[in-house]
Amino acid sequence: MHGFNIAQLLVDGIVAGSMYALMASGISLIWGTMRMLNFAHGEFYMIGGYTLFFALVALKVHPVIAVGLGLLATFMLGVVVERLIMRWLLLRAEWEMPTLVATLGLSVFMQNFALRTFGAGDLGLPYVVPGVFRIAGVVLPGQRIAIVLVAIVAFAVVWSILRYTKFGVAIRATSQDRDTAVLMGIDFPKVYMLTFGISVALAALAATMLAPIYSVNPWMGQRPMLKAFIVVVFGGLGSLEGAILGGVVLGIIESVGVAVVSSEWQDVIAFAILILVLWVRPQGLFGAKES
Amino acid sequence: MKLKSALIQIAIATVFAALVPLMMHGEYALHVAVLALIFAVLAASWNLVSGYGGMFTFGHQAFFGLGAYVSALLAMHLGISTYLSIMIGTAFAMVAGVVIGLPVLRLRGAPYIAIATLAFAEIVKLIADNLTNLTHGESGLAGIPPLSPIGAMSFSIADSRPYYYCALILLVVTMVLVAAVMASPIGLAFGAIRDSQDAAESIGVDVTKYKVLLFMLSSALAGMAGGLFAHYVTVLTPSSILGIDVMVQIIAMALIGGLGTLFGPVVGAIILTVGLELLRSLGDYQLMLYGALLVVVIIVLPRGLSSLPMLIASAATKQSSIRGSSWKHPIKQREP
Repeated sequence: MHGFNIAQLLVDGIVAGSMYALMASGISLIWGTMRMLNFAHGEFYMIGGYTLFFALVALKVHPVIAVGLGLLATFMLGVVVERLIMRWLLLRAEWEMPTLVATLGLSVFMQNFALRTFGAGDLGLPYVVPGVFRIAGVVLPGQRIAIVLVAIVAFAVVWSILRYTKFGVAIRATSQDRDTAVLMGIDFPKVYMLTFGISVALAALAATMLAPIYSVNPWMGQRPMLKAFIVVVFGGLGSLEGAILGGVVLGIIESVGVAVVSSEWQDVIAFAILILVLWVRPQGLFGAKES
Repeated sequence: MKLKSALIQIAIATVFAALVPLMMHGEYALHVAVLALIFAVLAASWNLVSGYGGMFTFGHQAFFGLGAYVSALLAMHLGISTYLSIMIGTAFAMVAGVVIGLPVLRLRGAPYIAIATLAFAEIVKLIADNLTNLTHGESGLAGIPPLSPIGAMSFSIADSRPYYYCALILLVVTMVLVAAVMASPIGLAFGAIRDSQDAAESIGVDVTKYKVLLFMLSSALAGMAGGLFAHYVTVLTPSSILGIDVMVQIIAMALIGGLGTLFGPVVGAIILTVGLELLRSLGDYQLMLYGALLVVVIIVLPRGLSSLPMLIASAATKQSSIRGSSWKHPIKQREP
């Protein structure tokens, strides 16, 4: 019985961790390319959740189309936000603090906008993927299997884009050295816009997967974003591999940790470890030292 | 700014501020004024680390909340004088400032500093949330005693006037401390650290020592403001004083007034507290406005209102010079 429980905890951890990894990879992607931290990442997650809810409940479209709509809406909002707000700040000589402030303001604005528009209530959603599977005593609802599969596909797609497409080369070139990239004819404003869009679409993807398990409300993005911050610190900002590994490790630690520490103290320990990690290794556990 | 002229300015502002309660009628207006002063202390203390020190932290509400909760709990359970309990709360906040300051000052990237301080504030909030038998969590810690009487002057929730003067004294002390620190050789060192940490270190500035000092002073002031706040409003909930909303307000105030200036955060605190109180009818739109304001200010006026006179002056000279040149060369006028 105990052995099965541990297997179950591991599986649950991987499911949760794959979503942390999705959130974290978005934050990491923006950091890697634009050298800014997006404090509104959780609110783009929320936008994805609400879009899914309205597509499913109001438009009654097929779940796959609803997820697609969630991604598209969030992507477009991200592109607009980058163009209208971030662009002005990223072109300044000192942009780290201003982008932090702007995204924090954006986060507060979006949260309270959602609160005024949609209300404070939790909106529940049915599971998009039905069914429950039992494999060797491990209970696996279809939704959770789908989560892991979707995450794997998403990472494969992002990785292939970065590795094999011209656009991916442009992103990597811009993140390595913007000025040289511009000299090589890379249209960096376009790279910024699309990168921001893709990054927040990854958050929306996580939201469309998790919204049926948790629920949709104006603050739904806060926890996932804080968790993603922990992950990027563990994995090192700017590293896609670090985000994936860090996400899964955090998911497993949390899931197994429930057996040891009650859930309300878990986050306290997670944040304390985060600060300790930063104390010992200021560049993150797996991060490369930056100049 | 020279210390002498800064002190003179503070003195003049204090005289005006001391007259405010005499001109105001209505308990409510005075209540708003007290809140404005307490937030001014918070914004000014955050400005010390973030504006002057160049370490952009996101967890200042933690020190405010620590000061508030520790002082409130001590006064409630041990029955000690509220001034003693505020002092102990301040000491707590100061120690916390050192504890979080030490890891933070090893960090060089703004994002890591932001994440570390945010995580710290989240820890403090979660502890306040979780220790329900001590803090009553979100249902609120009520029945905090008002400030202990001083001689004939007694404090009660019904009368904000004595609190106004307490808050004003705290603000003046804060401003004088900030001005004194910045005018001292320490202030010079901070300027050097902010401009280039490597250069400062290479000429022998003890960066670590100065940054810890700044963190200590800043968090102690925030803790003291928290203590005063606790014994003024007499009810505390984790989300009202430890939430990220508080941090957003502090940032907005310091930024709108002008980061890294002596009077900027205070002016920002007064403008935002009073201005948003006038917009009270907007209700939940207030926070939306805060968010939008942050975005607009950082784009349009990144140095805050304190840079406005300079901007206007430079715009005026530019315009007159254009006019002057166009008078000489009328054709050039058509150029964009």
